[in-house]
Amino acid sequence: MKTKICTGIYNNGKGIILSALLVVTSQWSVALDYPEAGNFSQGSKVWSENCSRCHNMRNPTDLRDGITSIFHMRVRAGLTGQETRDLLTFLRGVNAKSTHTRLSTEVLITEVAEVKSTISGERVYKNNCMACHGTDGKGSFSGVPDFTSADGRLSKSDSELLSNIINGFQSEGSLMPMPPRGGNSRLSDENLTAALEYIKNTFAD
Amino acid sequence: MKLEKLARAIMFTFAAATVSTVALAELSDEVLAERLERMQQEMDQLKEQLGKSATKEEVQLIKQDVASTSDWLLPDTLIHMSGYADVGYIETESTDGSFNVGTFAPIFHFQYRDIVMLEAELEIEINADGETETNLEYLTIDWFVNDYMILVGGKFLSPIGQFRQNLHPSWINKLPSAPPGFGHDGAAPVSDVGFQVRGGFPVGGIRTNYAIYISNGPELMSEFEDGEFELDGVEAEGFGADNDGKKAVGARLGFIPFVGFELGISAASGEATVTSIHEGDNSLLGREEARDYDVIGGDFSLQYKAFNIRGEYVETEVGADTGSGASASEGAIWETWYAQGAYRISQSKWELVARYTDFDSPHNSQDQQQWAVGANYLFANNFIGKLSYEFNDGQTESDADKDRFLFQMAYGF
Repeated sequence: MKTKICTGIYNNGKGIILSALLVVTSQWSVALDYPEAGNFSQGSKVWSENCSRCHNMRNPTDLRDGITSIFHMRVRAGLTGQETRDLLTFLRGVNAKSTHTRLSTEVLITEVAEVKSTISGERVYKNNCMACHGTDGKGSFSGVPDFTSADGRLSKSDSELLSNIINGFQSEGSLMPMPPRGGNSRLSDENLTAALEYIKNTFAD
Repeated sequence: MKLEKLARAIMFTFAAATVSTVALAELSDEVLAERLERMQQEMDQLKEQLGKSATKEEVQLIKQDVASTSDWLLPDTLIHMSGYADVGYIETESTDGSFNVGTFAPIFHFQYRDIVMLEAELEIEINADGETETNLEYLTIDWFVNDYMILVGGKFLSPIGQFRQNLHPSWINKLPSAPPGFGHDGAAPVSDVGFQVRGGFPVGGIRTNYAIYISNGPELMSEFEDGEFELDGVEAEGFGADNDGKKAVGARLGFIPFVGFELGISAASGEATVTSIHEGDNSLLGREEARDYDVIGGDFSLQYKAFNIRGEYVETEVGADTGSGASASEGAIWETWYAQGAYRISQSKWELVARYTDFDSPHNSQDQQQWAVGANYLFANNFIGKLSYEFNDGQTESDADKDRFLFQMAYGF
C-alpha cells in the first residue's frame, strides 16, 4: 500500500516538475528588470523582523555586496520575491553615500521651528525608524534603546541626538549599530530634525 | 689703394644688406601668412575644444554624481563566497582535553539575475589522525520560479525541523555542540538528494513558509550484537543514488502568526532498506526488502526582547522486515527533542544559554539526557566566543554518560 502511495507521489512529482518548467518558460515568471526596485521602509521591516528568527542581527553595512546573500536568505527563510526586493532596496539605501550637505547642529537646532510646520516627522519616523524602534518607541529587538525610559536615550541633548542620527551610532552592547540617517541616505538633515522632534514629542515623558 | 679697398668693402656690404633685406621682406610675408593660417586653425581647434569642455559648475555636478553613485550597478552574473569556521577545545570527563579545528565551511554562490542561483557548501574538517576530510554539505541549483516558489534541485539540507537547515552553522548555534540526536546518524535526517519546492506567502495577517520535497531517501544500517541482528542507525545524509529504488517524500510548513514567533510542523515518509552491517559482512544482505520509513517533527522559536527561546521534536520510525532478509527483523524508533533558552545581558556583549535534550534510540548505549549551559561573548554579531559545560546522563561508562567542557570560537563570514 505504502509503495503504491509513494510511487503515486513520485509520479505526481514528475508532473509537478514539468508544470514548474511550463511556469518558468511563461513570460510573467521572468524578471524583465533586475534588480527590481522595492520599498525601503518595508525592507527595513523585513530586516528587523526576520534575521533574528535564526541568528544575531547583522549590521546592514556588513552586506554591502549582499545581493546573493539576500537571495540565499530568501531560500533559507522562506521570504517572498517582494520581500527580497524590499530588502535589497533597504540595503542599497543603507550603503549609499549621502548627497546632502551637512549643516552644523547649531544651525539645525535653530531651524527646527521652521521645518516643523512643513515636514512630517511622523512620516519620516514611520517609514524609516519604526521597524527597529517600534511603534511604541521601546525597540523591536534586543539592543535597541527604549525611548520611553526616563533616563534613557532621549535624556541626551538635541545636538548629540541629531549628530547620532546623522552620523550613525553604536549603542553599548548592541550588535547592530544604527546606520547613518537611519539607513536612508535620501533623508535630508531637515527631515531627520523633524523626526527627532516627533520622537521626543511622542515618546519622552 | 686702401681707399679703393675700403670703398669696395662698403659697396659690397651695402649691396649684400640690400639684397638680404629684400629677400627677408619677401619671405616674411609668406611665413607670416602661413603662421597666421596655422594660428587661425589652432584658434578654431581651441574654440572647438573649449566648446566640448565642462565648466567648473559642470565638473562640480559630475563630482557630486560620482560621490552619490552606489556600487550596486551590477552585472547579471554574480559570484560570491560566504561561510563559517570554528576552532576550539574539548575536554571530556576522565580523558585529556584537546584543541581542535572544528569545521571550515565555505559556501559558494553563483547567481544569474533573479532567475537562478547555485549554492554549494563544503565541510572541511581535520580528524583525530590529522587527516583532512572534505564533504559536500549541500549543492543545489535554486530556480526562482516566481515570487512564491523556488524549485531547488540537488543535495539539500533536510527541511525537517529547523536545526539542520537553519541553525547548525557554528556562528548561529548558540552552543558549541549540536543537540544529541540532531547530528549525524541521529534521529533527525541531515540531508537528501532530490528536488524540493519551497518559498513563502502571506495568508491574511499570517506569514507562512513551506518546503516540500521528493528524494532518494535514507539507507539503513544494522549490527550484530548479543547473538542477533538489530537496526543500528538511519543514514539520512543525502545518498547520490537510490540503491533500493524507493523514494521518500517530506515537507515542513512554518507559520509566523506574529513577529518574533514561528511554529513549524514536519513530516516525511517512504521506504528504506538495510544496505550495510556495522563492522560486519555486507554479503549477508542479499535478500533485504524495503521497510517503512516515517519521520514526524515539530519546532518553535520565540524572540522577545533579550530572550530567545526555541525547541524542536523529531521522531524517526523504521518498520519491521517485510521479507526474508537476514538482518534485523524488528523495527526501531529514534526520538529526540530539545528546548533552549538564551538571554542577552542588557548593555553588554554577554549572552547566557541553557539547553536540555533527551535522545532515545534503540540502543541503550546511545540514549542520552543532556543539560548544556554556556556563556557566549559576542565580539561581533558574527564572531562569537562560547564557553559551555555539558552534564550528560547515559548508560554507565558509555560515552553518552561523560560530561564535557567545551570552548569554541566561531566566525561567520
